[in-house]
Amino acid sequence: MTRMLVSLALLSCALVAFQLVLMQSLSIVQWYHFAYMVISVALLGFGASGTLLSLARERFLKDADVLVPLLMIASGMTMMLSLPLSQYNFIRFDSYLLFVEGNQVLRLVLTYLLFFFPFVLGALAIALLFLQHTIVIGRVYAANLVGSAAGGGVALGLMWLVPVHHMPAVIGFMAIGAGVLLITQTHRRSLLAVAAVGGLLALVFVLLPSPLHPSEYKSLSRTLTLPEARVKYARSSPYGLVHVVSSPALRYAPGLSLSFKGTVPSEKVVFNNGDWFGPIVGYRSDDSLHVADYSTFALPYVLDQRRRVLVLQARTGLFAAQALLRGAEHITVVEPHREVLELLRHEFAQESDSLLFHPAINVHALEPRSFLKADTSRFDLIVLPTLDAFGGTSGVYALQEQYLLTREAFREMWDRLTPNGVLTITSWMDQPARNPLRALATIADMLADAGVVSPKMHIAAIRSWGTVTFAVKRSPVTQEESNRVLAFCRRMQFDPLLLPDLKNDDRNKHNVLYDPSFFTLVDGILGPHRESVITTYPFRINAPTDNRPYFSQFLRWSSIPQLYDSFGQHALPFVELGSFLIALTLVQILVLAIVLILLPLAKKKIAGDGSASLLLYFAALGLGYMFVEMVLIQRFVLYLGQPLYAAAAAIGAMLIFSGAGSACSSRFTSQASLVRRKALVIGILVLVYAAFLDSAIHHTITLPLPWRFLLAGLMVAPLAFMMGMPFPLGVRVFGDIHPNAVAWAWGINCCASVIAAPLATLVAIEAGFASVLVIAAGLYLAAALSTILLANRM
Amino acid sequence: MFRVFCLLVVASSILAAQSREDEREEMVQAQIAARGITDEATLRAMRTVPRHLFVPPAWSDAAYADRPLPIGYGQTISQPYIVAYMTELVKPRRGQRVLEIGTGSGYQAAVLAEIVDSVFTIEIITDLANEAAARLKNLGCKNILVRNADGYYGWEEKAPFDAIVVTAAAEHIPPPLIRQLKDGGVMVIPVGTPFLVQMLTLVEKRGESVSTRSLIPVRFVPLTRGK
Repeated sequence: MTRMLVSLALLSCALVAFQLVLMQSLSIVQWYHFAYMVISVALLGFGASGTLLSLARERFLKDADVLVPLLMIASGMTMMLSLPLSQYNFIRFDSYLLFVEGNQVLRLVLTYLLFFFPFVLGALAIALLFLQHTIVIGRVYAANLVGSAAGGGVALGLMWLVPVHHMPAVIGFMAIGAGVLLITQTHRRSLLAVAAVGGLLALVFVLLPSPLHPSEYKSLSRTLTLPEARVKYARSSPYGLVHVVSSPALRYAPGLSLSFKGTVPSEKVVFNNGDWFGPIVGYRSDDSLHVADYSTFALPYVLDQRRRVLVLQARTGLFAAQALLRGAEHITVVEPHREVLELLRHEFAQESDSLLFHPAINVHALEPRSFLKADTSRFDLIVLPTLDAFGGTSGVYALQEQYLLTREAFREMWDRLTPNGVLTITSWMDQPARNPLRALATIADMLADAGVVSPKMHIAAIRSWGTVTFAVKRSPVTQEESNRVLAFCRRMQFDPLLLPDLKNDDRNKHNVLYDPSFFTLVDGILGPHRESVITTYPFRINAPTDNRPYFSQFLRWSSIPQLYDSFGQHALPFVELGSFLIALTLVQILVLAIVLILLPLAKKKIAGDGSASLLLYFAALGLGYMFVEMVLIQRFVLYLGQPLYAAAAAIGAMLIFSGAGSACSSRFTSQASLVRRKALVIGILVLVYAAFLDSAIHHTITLPLPWRFLLAGLMVAPLAFMMGMPFPLGVRVFGDIHPNAVAWAWGINCCASVIAAPLATLVAIEAGFASVLVIAAGLYLAAALSTILLANRM
Repeated sequence: MFRVFCLLVVASSILAAQSREDEREEMVQAQIAARGITDEATLRAMRTVPRHLFVPPAWSDAAYADRPLPIGYGQTISQPYIVAYMTELVKPRRGQRVLEIGTGSGYQAAVLAEIVDSVFTIEIITDLANEAAARLKNLGCKNILVRNADGYYGWEEKAPFDAIVVTAAAEHIPPPLIRQLKDGGVMVIPVGTPFLVQMLTLVEKRGESVSTRSLIPVRFVPLTRGK
């Protein structure tokens, strides 16, 4: 029994670790949302395993002693093979070409298939073990959950130690080990031979790993085509694959003034997962002025001198270097990417003129919101990261939660400003305008929340050919400051956008906008009819909130016909790829789930006609569990200061405590009424969490990190413990009715869990995280209802 | 027998060339003229330059389609309409010298060379520069000079230029390019992600003053009014 539990935990660990490796690898070669889409289909392998088992239960069970270890070994071997094979020329797909080249769809399907096999094989082994040990399902399910929890830790640990493309071999070897543990006397020699082949395969892939081939359209790939481009540093970590590249042709001066006559210096550039992250800039330039002083970034320093500066999400330190050059005496740098901070402190300290060692600079490796909540200092200037990117991002970040760009975050920053302090944010100009308008709408809401009656008196904004910078001042902008800004604009050939008493004619002289309605919108957002201006614009430009922190999600689904009317085929970039892909992911999962799981299962009716209640029960559990988990991860990002910590704490604690709950469930008798009570209690508990979780986080966020970790675990514990019980209890209750119920339950539960991820994101975008929790509570209540239906049938 | 074979080969190549010409005419009518490009010289150039010879053989069939195409190295050949629009924007005429930054396949340079006296084009990726130079030579484009270099510095020896077309834009406009622009000259810069140009920036130099204009390369309905 113990050997089986260890084997099951090991396989579960390998499957989750492999999933994380795939996510990371696909983020490197493509980008995150495609990774998400591919993985979700692969995970349907779990659901399909339930279908297979349900259709041929007796045959599987008859040979289970041989099949279980064989399936585990095969899963391990396909883990090793699938990633390298997906990188071969004839299979490798490119997301950029997906809408251009027909055969990319075929490549995508092949990629799906490759990643489907390790999961379907592994899940089949797990489901068989569930079937074989229904009596002790609580302990078996607990081993599965604890193993899965360990999988996350193993993957993250490995990411520190070996490059991501080496990892499938290591993880595949774990799955093979899990299989070897269960080899019995039956076919012992043949199975050991297969395992030995798997072991050799692992050795080959460890010694000769197949490299990843990022899309040629990713920033890193394009940069490496530049003359004398050299990778100076490459390291994989859970934060991503970091590269530092040098080339004489790499220069960074966003939206540089057309008055600049000098030469923009070459810089080394940091890439994370193949995407541009930031240039490594020095501050001891021979020129007395930093190139940033020739961009709209200089605006807050034109208004006045800034002694205490806070740079949030500082990346590689451009704005910190600028602050130093402009004479700031205390500069607080907040950047969550520890790996990049380490680079600037060690390997590239010289190139950054030892910026982070400067006595005026104080570094915090934290999520900016966590810093704002924990720190009470006041600053003369708070600098936010630049919005969007040159040329746009095609909606790649539409699904990214940006807690730094919400109405609440802006308010917290406002409260940290000294009486004459300034909050500044720069955006690339996009067309049609979205980023600058949404930034302004968030500023306007912040000022309204702070009780500022005349918002226009507190804002200075200037515009270059490519960027617009806003500076929001706690006290009104004075005439003298206004004059300085106007003189700066004349010198730099910029245009003022917002200043007290600014004439409309003075706004569009140097950098003429084709569509002057931008100015109408800017004035409208600061005027008395803000709500109407915002709601009638075809894009979402209202202030994001902590409940719906999607700053870069501009698409209103209802505006799509209007966009096609206006732009024809050019509407595609506005139908943001992130939003489009998540909807596509949901549709493809639903279709595949119906074809692969529900239709075949529907043929195998459950005796006593309990199939409807069984479907409702396990689908509700799958969806509800994932909904709660996703909200907890999001809330812990704020609490623990690192997305990685948040995911580790939420997922780890959920799985461990659910495992404990599952193990404990063995003590209860399998009665429908008991299951109903548990589901009801969970539903109510979820509602309690929805009401009090934010408050608990807010009151304890200033505690040291280890305490917050501990508290995060404790917050999750009661709910997760309870949430571990309904699945094994349900399996026993429904299993008493029909032996096929276990396979059914497994298939439906997995399927619902996969659907839950994109669905929860869509709900969060449209209605907010609080709604996701309320729906989760409703789902547990629905599970309780299903047991009443079952009881009535019986 | 051999003669018949030769005749068939010649006949089929004439037919193929005729079919490509028809495709070009269709491209100009449906994608370019229909969208408001009226400059006769630009339309003539777009009708003349065989775009299918500037795309990789695998994409030859799609050469005249209304979209950009990949040419390798993470680069694209722009959609025909964007090439025409950028050409029209710089107001090309006989007697002009034009600098292009980002040769790519060489197609934009070939279109410009049909109108102006000299085109100087710079490509930073060595393989692309060599391929484009060979292609343009084979096509007999004698008024185009290709250089493999970093376009940031422009082409000092050949300056000043009446127009500069930047097809591989960076997030700042290199100061040397502004210096190398004639008084009254214009520079055009596309802005967008690969495969999608969303807007164009036109830079105009008048004495010491340099101004810009943002333009949209598609039919545009102001979005202030909700439906």
